[in-house]
Formats: sequence, C-alpha cells, structure tokens
Amino acid sequence: MNKNVSNILKAVSKPGRYSGGEYGQIIKDKSKVKARFAFCFPDTYEIGMSNLGVRILYGVLNREEDVWCERVYDPWLDMQEKMREHHLPLCACESGDPLSEFDMIGFTLQYEMSYTNVLNMLDLAGLPLRQSERDDSMPIVIGGGPCAYNPEPVADFFDLFNIGEGEEMLPELCRLYIQMKEEGRYTKAEYLHEAARSIEGIYVPSLYQVSYNEDGTIKEYTPIYDDIPTTIHKRIIKDMDTAYFPEKVVMPYIETVHDRVMLEVFRGCIRGCRFCQAGMIYRPVREKSPEVLNEQAKCLFEATGYDEISLTSLSISDYTQLEELCNLLLEWTDENMVSLSLPSLRVDSFTKELMDKIATVRSSSLTFAPEAGTQRLRDVINKNVLEEDLLRAVKVAFEAGKNTVKLYFMSGLPTETLDDIAGIAELASHVIDAYYQTPNRNRAKKPQVTISVSCFIPKPFTPFQWEAQDTFDQLAEKQEYLGSKITDKKIRYTHHDAKVSRIEAVLARGDRRLAPALELACKEGFCFDSWDECFDYDRWISVLERTGIDPAFYANRVWGLDEVLPWDIIDCGVSKEFLRKERDRAYAEATTPNCREKCSGCGANKMGGERTCCPKAKN
Amino acid sequence: MLSQSEKLSKLEEKKRILALPELERPRTVRLKFRKVGSLQYISHLDLQRTFMRVLTRACLPVWYTKGFNPHAKLVFSTPLSVGAQSEYEFLDLRIDREMSTEEIMKRLNRELTEELQITEAYLPKSDFSEIAWATYEIEICTEHASEALAEQMTKVLTTAPLLLTKRTKAGEKEIDIVPLIHEIKIRFNENDATIGISATLSATTGEFLNPEMLITALKRECSIMSGDPMKEWYTILRTSVMKADFTRFR
Repeated sequence: MNKNVSNILKAVSKPGRYSGGEYGQIIKDKSKVKARFAFCFPDTYEIGMSNLGVRILYGVLNREEDVWCERVYDPWLDMQEKMREHHLPLCACESGDPLSEFDMIGFTLQYEMSYTNVLNMLDLAGLPLRQSERDDSMPIVIGGGPCAYNPEPVADFFDLFNIGEGEEMLPELCRLYIQMKEEGRYTKAEYLHEAARSIEGIYVPSLYQVSYNEDGTIKEYTPIYDDIPTTIHKRIIKDMDTAYFPEKVVMPYIETVHDRVMLEVFRGCIRGCRFCQAGMIYRPVREKSPEVLNEQAKCLFEATGYDEISLTSLSISDYTQLEELCNLLLEWTDENMVSLSLPSLRVDSFTKELMDKIATVRSSSLTFAPEAGTQRLRDVINKNVLEEDLLRAVKVAFEAGKNTVKLYFMSGLPTETLDDIAGIAELASHVIDAYYQTPNRNRAKKPQVTISVSCFIPKPFTPFQWEAQDTFDQLAEKQEYLGSKITDKKIRYTHHDAKVSRIEAVLARGDRRLAPALELACKEGFCFDSWDECFDYDRWISVLERTGIDPAFYANRVWGLDEVLPWDIIDCGVSKEFLRKERDRAYAEATTPNCREKCSGCGANKMGGERTCCPKAKN
Repeated sequence: MLSQSEKLSKLEEKKRILALPELERPRTVRLKFRKVGSLQYISHLDLQRTFMRVLTRACLPVWYTKGFNPHAKLVFSTPLSVGAQSEYEFLDLRIDREMSTEEIMKRLNRELTEELQITEAYLPKSDFSEIAWATYEIEICTEHASEALAEQMTKVLTTAPLLLTKRTKAGEKEIDIVPLIHEIKIRFNENDATIGISATLSATTGEFLNPEMLITALKRECSIMSGDPMKEWYTILRTSVMKADFTRFR
C-alpha cells in the first residue's frame, strides 16, 4: 500500500476499499516487466471486485510473463476529497503506483452511467481527458465491455476500443506495444495505426472522421487511412471449453456485491428479447461442457473457500445440460456446505426438480422477469413467456414453502398502452391468488409479491434501436397509473427513476458530439451517476443545455430506418437487416422462435463457435 | 504426512480428513495471529468472514453447529479497532477430526498473506476472560515533536482525572482513563523526530481502554496532529496481552 494513502485511510469510510493486500493478488517485479497495464473498473471496489470479466482479463494479462496487470477502482467521494486535498493521484491496488506511470490503462464499460466515473478516474490520475491531448509519454487508454458497442459518446477520450471478447485482443495489444517499444519504433500515432490495421476487433476512433447532415443526423464515417477496416468486426472466443479460465481469484477482505464463485456456463442467449442488448451482442451461443464446468467449479472452490457457487449466464435455464451439471456439482457441494444459486431463471423452465437442487444448504430468493403485463406486449418484445408458465412456476415455489416472489417489468415499451400497464397489477394479483390456490403452501405466512418496474431504454444493436423512449412525463404518468392500480398490501411496488433512464438513453444512442457535455460534467465533479445519492437530473440537463445538446434528439426521437447510426461502424455479428425484420415482427405482434427451435438468420453464425446452437455455424 | 497429501486435490484431501473417526467431543484449538499492514483497515466482521473462507481453503476439519443453518464457531479475543495493527491476536476454533496443531498452522498459513499469519497454534488451557491487560507501541509523527512535548504528554496521560467520552452500547459516558493505564513510557526519538509511546492498558471486557483514546486525549490536550495527514500521523501496534498478574496470556 502506498504510504501516503495509508495516512489518510483513518479518515475515510470503508478504508478496506483502498488498503489492498488481498490474498491472490499478483505482484511482479517492476524491473522485469515490459508493459504495465492498469485495469480500471469505473465504480466502487465492491462492485468492481465482483465482475467476472475483470477476473478473467486480470488473469489473461498476468499470464504474459512480461506484462503486469493491476486493478484500479473509483474511490468513493470522501476518499476523492482527501486525495485532491493532499494532491494524491489515483493509484493501482497492487503496487500503489500512480496511473500515469503505466503503459496502458483499460476501462471496462459495463453501463452508460459509469462514463462520468471514467473521466473522473482519468482526472484523478492527473491525465488529460481527451486522447488528442495525451502525448507519447502517457498511457494508452483502452475501452471494452458491452458499452464499447457504441463507444461514440466517449470516443474522444479513448485511444482505442476492444470490440467483443477481450481474452485474445488484450494480450495481442500488449505484445504489439512491447514489440514496437523494443524495436524503437513506438509512437502513439504509429501504435494506434498498427493496432487498427493488424488486430481484428480494434477500433481507433481518431482514425475515422464523422460528418453530419443538416438535420443533425450522421452523414458518414470516413477512415483516414486506406489500410484500416471500414467496419470493425467483433471478436469472440470460439471454444469456451478451452478458453482461458482464471484458476486463482483475488479474494476481497471486505464484503463485495457478489461474494461467491461465479461459474460462467455459457456465453450468448438463444432468446432474442427485442429490447435486450446483451441478447444480441453476445451471440452466438457457446456452451461449456458440464465436465469442464464441474472441474472449474472445484478449482474455484478450492482457490477461494466461497460457500456459494452461482451459475452465471444470460439465461441459465437455457443451458442444454443444466441437469447434468447440477448433478455433477451436487456430488460434492452438499458435503462441503456449498450452495448453488441460479440467477436469471426463466419461468417456463422452473421446475420442482430444479428447485430441489438449488434449495440445498440455504434457500435462494426467487425472481422472475415477465417484463410486460399482457400477452400482447410480451409478444411484441418476444419474451415468449405465458401467464400460465409464471403461475405454474410460482406455485412450485409456494409449494416448497416460499412466500415471496419478485417480478421484474419494464414500462415504456414500444406500442405499450395503459392496458398493458394495468396488466402488470393484474398479473401480480394473480400470483397472490396462486398462493392461496396452493394447498401445500406455508400457511403460517402471507404471500408477498414485489414488482419492480424499470424504464425501457432503446439500445444499440437491438430490434428496438430505432424506437423513441417515452418522454419523462409519459413515464411518470405510467408509473403513477400503475401505483393507482395496486391496492393489495401484499403487493409491493418499486420503480426505477425515469430521470436516470432518460440520461441513460441519451448516452446509449449518443454520438461524438456528446464529448463536450461529458467533459463539462467531469469538470463540474460528476461521478457515481448510477448511485441515487449522486445523480442529479437538473444538473445533467443544465450540462447538456450549456453544451448545446438536445436530449430529445437522442432519447425521444424515432430514428430513421435508413439513418446512419453512430454504431454502424461496428459489426456485432447480428445483421442490421435482421434487427429491422425483428422490428417489423414486433409491430405485427409476432414472436420469433428461439435459436434452438429454429434459426432466424441473425447472421451471428458466420462467426463460428463450438457447442453453439447455430445450425449453419462454420468453424 | 503433508508431503503425501500434497498429491491430492483439496476436495480429495477434505474427503480423506472427513473419513477419519469423529472426535468424541469437538476440540478447541487456539490460534495466535498477526494482523498488520493493510490488514489494519479490515474490520472485525470482515476478518471473521475472511477466516471462514480460509478455514475452508485449508481443508480443516472444522466442527459445525448442528441445526438448520450449520456454521463454524469462531471466537476472537480482545477487540482491535480499525486502523490498529497487532502481533498478538487470538482466535479459538473447534475441530471434530484429528489434526495436529502444527499441521493446522501450516495449512492455514499457506492460505494467508504475510500481513495475516498464524504465529502459534495450541490447545488452550486458559479462557479469554482471563485477559486483563494489553500492551501497545504507538508512534506519533507530529510537527514540533520534542523532548518537551514527550514530557508534556506523559504529564497529560498520568494526571487524573483525564475525562473522555466513551461510546458504549448504552450510549455515551464520561470516563477517567488514567486508572485504566497501568504503565506508560513516552520518549522522543531524535533520529526520526517522532514520539514513541509504550503503554499497558486495561483490556478487561468491562473496562477496555481503546488505545485510540490516548490519541484523542493527546490531540485535545497537546494540540497535536491537527494539520496535514501527510506530515502528521500515528500508528498503533498491539504487542501483547496479559493476565491480571502481568504474565503473558496464552
């Protein structure tokens, strides 16, 4: 730990966030490494330490003998204040060295509302925000993660982006860096050009010029060199069984959000819900085999001592060999007091057998996501879940003695009417009825249904990417209407802040013209905007106004189907044509079968992949 | 024995240990441990959670409570506040299969960092309630540190009454801390211009004196450490705990 940092830790809350020294951290000899990489998670330690992607990439980079990857998180407000007061720059956990001393700084962009934290961290590191203002002596700043699929709002601050899965790309970037340094031909400009030209999946925004039409829409993207790609194709790891797997985990001393083994079962999703970005950008589906997963789970348990294993994926019950996997795990988890948890369960696959498997040592909470209140709207969004599936699933849970269920919904979905909103309340009361219709329920307890309603945000690379978000007033009206429809005290109703969702919508579909706004936000001290206590809508609107940005242009406009989209420069595997067809089907209230029932030709199978469900996948 | 078992995976190892005959009664093993460096910022609750995982990683035959929610029983000795280091912490755990204390210590230390190490493991013959005193080394770096300041500090900490507010479960109360200080030596270290304090403070459950209270008193009475934490700071290290007769607690 940095000595200067240690001196102020007695004066901040949760000092364990900053003290480092965790079991499992990787320490290397500075004099022997050729590239130092600072892996930044633009949120608190507790959230960042729980991220599976960071765990994987930390291991992947440190596997390179001459690369040392360290972790960095955004310090909480009280710590930031102390750091600024005493002129302490942002430092990495392992060495305690300031970020400015690193060769490369990587940010994982998990959610749009963390963009202000990215700038905040660069600022705390004493680095210029704009990539054009950082010279050859300063670190290369890299972005990746789901938000890198439309990196344009933050494009001016990054040197390059990784599009897709980073396990191969990041080491390739380090190797190129080391090679150019050793050959004495490193300049930042040369490096960026070379990376864009020679490494697939690398997007260097400064090498593309953007022009705009008079109505404010984008005219075109022009590469400034002939030898760089006009479209950047995302990278994937084809075979998940042989993909790099981190056998060691850095063990936090303080409690983090996910204090458990996270076992990544598969990537991608077969479902194709039309609002869901993750369901599109992580295609094609690629599974790990149960035997491999069982060995990896054992390995992680032995390395961590965690008492819970969470089977993670976008929709765990769609894993083709879930039963085999659970059986293999249960052979040893029970006697070692380890419980299994299965987040992201779909109601149509929730059975008594499955429930028995997960309710072993401790009970797990039950959450389902019907997303919409009526069958019509569920068909529009392609959720492919029936009310009877939900009621059957909750009865299974109630029969097993549970009395609380949490249901997730979304409001503001395309074509939504007040009837659909009222449907949410009706569905919740049908769940209550189902409780009393269950003969073997826990008679000592009353049922409790919590409905949590978020706001629809049109996201890039979804069939709804062209849709308008409801205005703030519309969203507020719907929230209030739903509130008035809920009279039963056994139903608890919570909803997301529509104001946050509106800013998120602006950032999600934003382009490079948002840079001055984010820059101003940083200058005015914005950070932790995904935290209620920090987010201030009026200040956001003021920042947007002062930088000449109309939030409605990005959030509340129906985008033209022929419009050049800010993210058209990126190929996520799924074709624009498919997204358009899916949009048409949504308006026709027609569902699309999942990838396992029938291939709908999204285009992702051109990427190949092992243990996938794409019929035409070529390897 | 350990060299043989190193070929087994931890799960196989655990299986082998669990196959041993169960002890007639769970056996209490006392661990003496060090908690220094970055670990000083880890709270008691977080330390407890950490030890649970470490015990699992070390494949110890930990005895679990019977009942609906089985859990290991860990009992820690004297509390240590966040921001204080210690060479002298104790933890009692119970095992229900045969395993030597040497092996327990060896297994645990493999799963710990240098800042958190088991320094002794043995079968205890005493009870934590016998702990009466704890000794501390406190280092203070402050502007205007001098021989005279050291003398002034000595006077402050030895002249009763020295009233301080103590926060307890029942609320706040005023206490005189001087009777809780058995012995105190304060010196000025010329070479690094710091003040060093060696103190023996009451450590009974009812009258536990947190060494931070000394710092609070000195800040107030001697107007020290009100400035830049880069230049003015202090460290606290617990060096031993003792019984009422001032023999080392074991």
